[in-house]
Amino acid sequence: MTRTFCVAAALLACSVNAAHGRPVSYQGGWTAIEQTDRQSSAVWIHYTLNPRLSLGYRGEWDRGQDYVFQGAQATALAKRWFGENYQANLYGFAGAGVAYGVDDNAAGARPAAFVGVLADWETRRWFLSYKARAIEAGEVDASAAQAARIGYAPYEGDTGDLHTWAMIEIDHRADNPEPVGVTPLVRLFKGPMLLEAGWSVLDDEPLFNFTYRF
Amino acid sequence: MIRTLSLVSALSLVLAAPAWAQDHDDHDKEHQEHKHGDDHKHDHKHEGETIDAAALTQEVRAAVAAGGDLVVADVLGVVCDFCATAMNKTFGKRKEVAAVYVDLDRKTLNLAFKPEMSLDDATIEKLVKRAGYKVKTIRRDVAVEDALDAEADDAPDRS
Repeated sequence: MTRTFCVAAALLACSVNAAHGRPVSYQGGWTAIEQTDRQSSAVWIHYTLNPRLSLGYRGEWDRGQDYVFQGAQATALAKRWFGENYQANLYGFAGAGVAYGVDDNAAGARPAAFVGVLADWETRRWFLSYKARAIEAGEVDASAAQAARIGYAPYEGDTGDLHTWAMIEIDHRADNPEPVGVTPLVRLFKGPMLLEAGWSVLDDEPLFNFTYRF
Repeated sequence: MIRTLSLVSALSLVLAAPAWAQDHDDHDKEHQEHKHGDDHKHDHKHEGETIDAAALTQEVRAAVAAGGDLVVADVLGVVCDFCATAMNKTFGKRKEVAAVYVDLDRKTLNLAFKPEMSLDDATIEKLVKRAGYKVKTIRRDVAVEDALDAEADDAPDRS
């Protein structure tokens, strides 16, 4: 199972068809996202129906709780604030599907659902974000997590340049043996591609995110 | 767990409610400012301006040199390459557009049209909105000024 998921994630991450950072992009746009943090790995493929709503597939492997979720996710942009030099967004998202235990989790397939909220504020120099999500999957898992980020860009890249950010993420997962995680990371993006690599310093776990918009 | 789900749902609603309310306020303001019913709100357009050729891509300069009009829109919320990608994809699909360039430093959308073709302000605003952003100002009849030409123009007449 682990190998299958990793291969799928790697294929998606390397796909020439892949996607983008924010879960809602431009109307008619596709977004492919691979996310690996200190506890879970996920792949999404989203289609943006309009600038305020995207729908798509989400597959997630929780390596800490040993379960896999597969289902659909809807993300709604509740509000975007525009300014001369900033942009801020508030999203709500929800998903439903099936979760089943893997490895040490003997639970069978169960209906599962999650809800969450995501907010961010960004200039060309500074970035702030907050995300919270709770998932209910019966005997497979039931948990909640939240994370906040701050980032700084050492230079302002123009269109087409390589953009570089230094960020730090602090997350809280009540079901993790190390409930609070601190993850310094580097974000690089250029054109339609975004890549993040970091390391969770308290529990020695990697962070790797890749997004492609097309 | 159900309590946690409910809590997050409630938090989402609480956070989103003022935003939706703000949306409504914005909508009301638009109606107040545009009695003619246009679905847009931006500064009055400026015409007859010039732009430095160095601020444009080769594709845009070539399209203008071939006889296409150049329209420059100042866009709010343009902070990263994803913004540029969204507008490039959105406008790149239009048959009227010969070349498009989003300038992050100037926060402008530069549209070079095919000869005899164009898009009206309302359409440009609608497409920018579809890309996820908002037009502040639209400038038409923008001429491309080469820095060397400008120097020549500024040089004293020795005749």
